[in-house]
Amino acid sequence: MASEMAEHIVKSYEGELKRLGALLTEMGGLVESELALACEAVLSRDAVAASAAVEADPKVDAMEREVEQFVIRLLALRQPVAQDLRLIVASLKITGDLERIGDYAANVAKRSLVLNQFTLPFSLTGLGHMARLVQENLKTVIDAVGERDADKALEVWRSDESVDAIYNALFRELITYMMEDPRSITPCTHLLFIAKNLERIGDHATNVAETVYYAVKGEPLTGQRPKGDTSAYAVVRPARE
Amino acid sequence: MGMTMGDTQPQQTTATPQIGPIEARSDEALNTARIAIRNLDFFYGSNRALKAITLDLPDKQVTGMIGPSGCGKSTLLRVLNRMYDLYPGQRATGEVMMDGENIIAPGIDVNQLRSRVGMVFQKPTPFPMSIYDNIAFGVKLHERLSKAAMDERVEWSLTRAALWGEVKDRLPSSAMGLSGGQQQRLCIERTIATRPDVILLDEPTSALDPISTLKIEELIDELKHEFTIAIVTHNMQQAARCADQVAFFFIGELVEVGPALQMFTSPRQQRTQEYITGRFG
Repeated sequence: MASEMAEHIVKSYEGELKRLGALLTEMGGLVESELALACEAVLSRDAVAASAAVEADPKVDAMEREVEQFVIRLLALRQPVAQDLRLIVASLKITGDLERIGDYAANVAKRSLVLNQFTLPFSLTGLGHMARLVQENLKTVIDAVGERDADKALEVWRSDESVDAIYNALFRELITYMMEDPRSITPCTHLLFIAKNLERIGDHATNVAETVYYAVKGEPLTGQRPKGDTSAYAVVRPARE
Repeated sequence: MGMTMGDTQPQQTTATPQIGPIEARSDEALNTARIAIRNLDFFYGSNRALKAITLDLPDKQVTGMIGPSGCGKSTLLRVLNRMYDLYPGQRATGEVMMDGENIIAPGIDVNQLRSRVGMVFQKPTPFPMSIYDNIAFGVKLHERLSKAAMDERVEWSLTRAALWGEVKDRLPSSAMGLSGGQQQRLCIERTIATRPDVILLDEPTSALDPISTLKIEELIDELKHEFTIAIVTHNMQQAARCADQVAFFFIGELVEVGPALQMFTSPRQQRTQEYITGRFG
């Protein structure tokens, strides 16, 4: 945890910093519920949840613009330094990551509507597992933003590796289904994109974690982040005749 | 930048500022101290105004000194050219090394020291004489120059502050007729006319408008290629803009010193953090 900062001498500035924190927390909450709806839409084949997720996205975009404008205002009028500067710049980066997470969630929701038109001959256990993990990480990292907690950020940063591992397993699994039965290509392709979107959400959550860590500690998270997405190198060989 | 202290341990960061080629500077340059202050105490009577200060002023760099009023930063400047000698009851102990000499030791030629360590004050203090004589005055004390050589020196000095273009047609008129900003630049010129090694600036822009302030800052930027500069300022942004290294003082102690970039992004000490962000309570 960051050591508690004393209140700023200028109360209106202190108020603005608090408001910036509140905006981010609110935006984080929106994104969290958008992602929850999107996951629900896929896993429970729930079209209502899907529409709700898609409809939530413009609100997230609007909040990004609000945070951006507020940050520019603070930079221009308050000339922040040290921890204030780090937190304000961090807010700008975090709002961008959250906005992108919202986009991915909306995309997951849209694909779920297509998916609902197909009967799936296999279970979505793996995807459900991945969705839970990504949602947990997002929740933890948003808590880290609100509480300025570098330890929580570090926890998220480290646990993204398991998200990648599940994604790799899913990738192989879905390719196998497609090879077994070409009629599954359409739903499996959508599922692949859904899984990839979730994997990307995990990456943006780790970006947020890195940003929070720097804002709180004043030094960047060093060292290579544990990475596990190897699907870029996966090769599918057709069976020999 | 070695640092050994008694009861308090300010963190002196040895890391070079990492901001790409613009500020790229060899470690050697960073480590060459023009003035090395070691364990310096200063007393106004029985009041200990500086406590065990250990600080290097790196050669041809700007050291910004910040801290609340009464923290000792101006006192430190006064020590560096023995200004305090004029007042009974004020004394300094410790070492201030410059060219292998302890400049606060008795037996140092104070006049000679002040020609090597020039000082500019908060309020412009032009002498009540012509612009030309303001520059020539100090030079005459230390050097015998022909009229032509002196003319050249005056022009050289005034060109440095880009003041030449503004005053070249009225060198014989009184310096008191210049604007505040011009007067202050004239004072800086007057200081460098004697070709010192070190220039001390005590809140040089606090009485000036923003444009005059920027002109002084531009001048500082120019001068640091040839001189070692220490600037005391209450304006945090000014320290950030001008200084290579920044030292934060509080009640006579050096709390922290480090590269300006680090001091204004990630200061190591809580007190520095609270002061520069405006939370000092």
